[in-house]
Amino acid sequence: MNRALKRLSIAVLVMFLLLLINVNYLQGFQTAKLAGLPGNSRTFYSQFQYQRGDIETSDGVTIAKSVLSSAADYAKYAIKYQRTYPSGPEYAPVTGYNTIFGHTPTGETGIEYYEDAVLNGNDSSLTVRNFIDMITGKQRKGASVMVTINSKAQAAAYQALSSKLQGTGHVGAVVALDPSTGKILAMASYPSYDPNQLAVHSGSQLTANDNALLKNPANPLLNKAIGATFAPGSTFKIVTSSAFFDKNAGNNPQTMVSSPNQLVLPQTRNVLVNDGGETCGDGSGTTTLIQAFLQSCNTTFGKLGMSVLGANALNATAGAFGMNSSSLNIPMPVAQSNYVIPPSLATTAYSAIGQFSDTVTAMQEAMFSAAIANQGKLMKPYLIQQVIASDLSTVRATTPTLLNQAVSPSVATNVATMMNAVTQNQGGTAAQFNTAATGVDIAGKTGTAQNGVNNGNTNDAVFTSFAPFGNPKIAVGVIIQGGGYGAVAAAPIAVQVIKAYLGIR
Amino acid sequence: MPTPAASQDERLAAGGRRRTELTMLMFAVGIVAFAFAETGYGLFNTLPAKIFEYLLVYILLVAVAHLAMRRWAPFADPLLLPLGALLNGLGLVMMYRLGQGAGHKIASSTVDIQLLYSAIGIGCLVAVLALIREPRVLQRYTYTLGAVGLVLIATPALLPASISEVSGAKIQIALGGFTVQPEEFAKLALAASFAGYLVVKRDVLALAGRRVLGIDLPRARDLGPILAAWGVSLLLLVFESDIGTSAVFMGLFVAMLYIATSRTSWLLIGFLMFVFGAFLASKLFGHVGERFDIWLHPYTSKNLVDHSFQLVQGMEGMGYGGLLGKGLGAGMPYKTPLVQSDFIFTAFGEEIGLAGVMAILLIYGLIVQRGMRTAISVKDPFSKLLAGGLSFMLALQVFVIVGGVTRLIPLTGITTPFLSQGGSSLVASWIMIGLLARLSDTARRPPPRPIQDEGLTQVVTLK
Repeated sequence: MNRALKRLSIAVLVMFLLLLINVNYLQGFQTAKLAGLPGNSRTFYSQFQYQRGDIETSDGVTIAKSVLSSAADYAKYAIKYQRTYPSGPEYAPVTGYNTIFGHTPTGETGIEYYEDAVLNGNDSSLTVRNFIDMITGKQRKGASVMVTINSKAQAAAYQALSSKLQGTGHVGAVVALDPSTGKILAMASYPSYDPNQLAVHSGSQLTANDNALLKNPANPLLNKAIGATFAPGSTFKIVTSSAFFDKNAGNNPQTMVSSPNQLVLPQTRNVLVNDGGETCGDGSGTTTLIQAFLQSCNTTFGKLGMSVLGANALNATAGAFGMNSSSLNIPMPVAQSNYVIPPSLATTAYSAIGQFSDTVTAMQEAMFSAAIANQGKLMKPYLIQQVIASDLSTVRATTPTLLNQAVSPSVATNVATMMNAVTQNQGGTAAQFNTAATGVDIAGKTGTAQNGVNNGNTNDAVFTSFAPFGNPKIAVGVIIQGGGYGAVAAAPIAVQVIKAYLGIR
Repeated sequence: MPTPAASQDERLAAGGRRRTELTMLMFAVGIVAFAFAETGYGLFNTLPAKIFEYLLVYILLVAVAHLAMRRWAPFADPLLLPLGALLNGLGLVMMYRLGQGAGHKIASSTVDIQLLYSAIGIGCLVAVLALIREPRVLQRYTYTLGAVGLVLIATPALLPASISEVSGAKIQIALGGFTVQPEEFAKLALAASFAGYLVVKRDVLALAGRRVLGIDLPRARDLGPILAAWGVSLLLLVFESDIGTSAVFMGLFVAMLYIATSRTSWLLIGFLMFVFGAFLASKLFGHVGERFDIWLHPYTSKNLVDHSFQLVQGMEGMGYGGLLGKGLGAGMPYKTPLVQSDFIFTAFGEEIGLAGVMAILLIYGLIVQRGMRTAISVKDPFSKLLAGGLSFMLALQVFVIVGGVTRLIPLTGITTPFLSQGGSSLVASWIMIGLLARLSDTARRPPPRPIQDEGLTQVVTLK
């Protein structure tokens, strides 16, 4: 019997060895594979066991942070930290949201998604720091992201948008850039949403909140500043003018151009007129380019586009300003602004005044002015200033890069002079925003874009601008859907953002 | 003439190891106390509420068991009780942990109930030591124990599902909020019954028969007992959907048959019969085939959301724990469904890591080793068979459940001895420790001293 018992003991030994080898395999070698299994709830929930990094503005305002969940909430959902967005909808286009289902119940958005790896601390650039934290027993925390946003400009932009658009059912967007670097100083979208509603820990509550936002016809989850396009209207005359100056070195703001009261469009029964049928300049049929620009004469620029420049020249200049490109990421992708080559002379005339199939984002509107303000150098817009680890060391910082030399410096100077006249000349479309009225020397261009089937909708108000004229610090693009005249609905918002940023009361 | 006092001292010197047991018990209590404290810190950053009350009751139970060992089994192996106490204590800590903190799924009173069952278990251990003073007594009840075992196994199958079904298997008797899993006790009764039967029949089973291809085949009429055991095993499989216990039961019988006869053919026949039965069952009953499917393909998306969810959750938990674990109270074991019963091992893997579960496996291994050692050193064949059978059954049970939850073998739900939630398994485990202690006490008891030193004829007193 003892021999059988000894053999059986060896069998038992083998059984235990197999178990030991198997747990070693599982917990020693398979951990990465198990952690990466689809739907591994521990991998997913473990990110909530660490404090996620903050998101803060360049002037130090925290716009997303993680705080300890309330005791009741923690007992119910076992999620240690609650993500909060102190400014709610104002910064939603910047922050995006971080939900318990990930970052994207309805689409990928915001810094929360694009800088997720550094915020949750899993990024490879943080591995060494995490290891040191583990050794020293310090609580691990994700890195913070500092965005280029200026809180004053952002607040002015969002407040101006909401007071203008509240209750209208229309949407609007503002983008402000630092012309010399490309820093995004403000990016506001209306209507917006409260990301706190999507940071709740109850799955059913989250789904309900999300569905309510999805049902809203104004699509508050969409960041209109970079995700929606509108007709640029007369602001496109910046492109047409640039193409005109570019065509001939002798062309300047004082160059005389044709300015008929009516422009008969070839092969159609349509006649292009100026707004309200007004005459351009002195009514002689010719006037200086700067006069046509500050008055925003459709006939002049329609004729320039149709007869002098042609669709290809307009297309090239539009592309130089960043249109017709879908490759811009800030890091969120910016929707493509389009100049579509028109099929006829008549439609070329329309396209030269920002109608036909021209579409732009609010970001593109800001880029027009930023390029002009920066002597034709279009800097690549960016949102992330730097990433700061929990030990306050800088993980990485963004260096400004040139996106494109949009126009030559001399062309930029000429266009800037004309844009300045729009506010400073008594006859300018935005003359009410002269230096005496605003306290700052602004250069800008208004746009009042017809849209809808047979132009049946209320006009969209557009305004692009930079300031101060002599030493540009900020470029602002504003689009107000259904706002009517650019000078009435859009320009005041830009002025408020400029004044807030420059500290002018 | 030596004085009685001197004889007592000599006896202790000859083999009483109760002081070693006491030292080892202190280690067990210390580990459990630290584990309990760590759980509190992991969950709430403070000592658990009522930690001293819990520990006091636990220490009291351990002390009672130790005193009973001193009184009734002074020569028993000194490691059996400390190892059992350590596992029981860790199980209590895990029950406390699973009933507390964020996301917990079981009632916080589970640990209290488990502590009550521990007390009943220790009580049964004491009763075994006090009542069964000589293991051979059990041999008298060979057929009684066999009948009791069969009735215990069959009862849940005959009862309506509302009383006997738990997560798909008909294995319990639930009456008025109180549930018993009779098979846990049936296994012990049948082990003793087999031992008694095989002691009588082992010669004929071992010697009669003919040799074919180098293997000694038994006579057809001697196949009766193994066929009966196979039948019971299939009954478990078919009527109670309890594959795990069926395998343990069959393994126990075949192993004991092998110990009794030393004939490899019995192992072979038993193994083939079980594989044949399992294969047949996997073809006939969906739930058996499904076990194989999720064992082979746990990560397919169809299995992941449905059948293999629990298995994969458990393994993900162990992976999450890694080498050193997340710390007691700091993992997410509550993500695994029914982690407190079949998957308790994965909860340990998650919170005390590879290092911890290897220690737990070694504790089981040590108990089995002490049992096997007892079987080899004890003289009488019945005790040999019983000790070998009980030890092998423990090893097999650990292999089936731990191998199952770690995907070494197909998963079959049985309890993890000492650790799983539930009274029947815990009480049965303590009875098993009691039996092993009694057997090792018998094995290690020094031979009776001669009462006269001279002369050819010696008169001895049997105690």
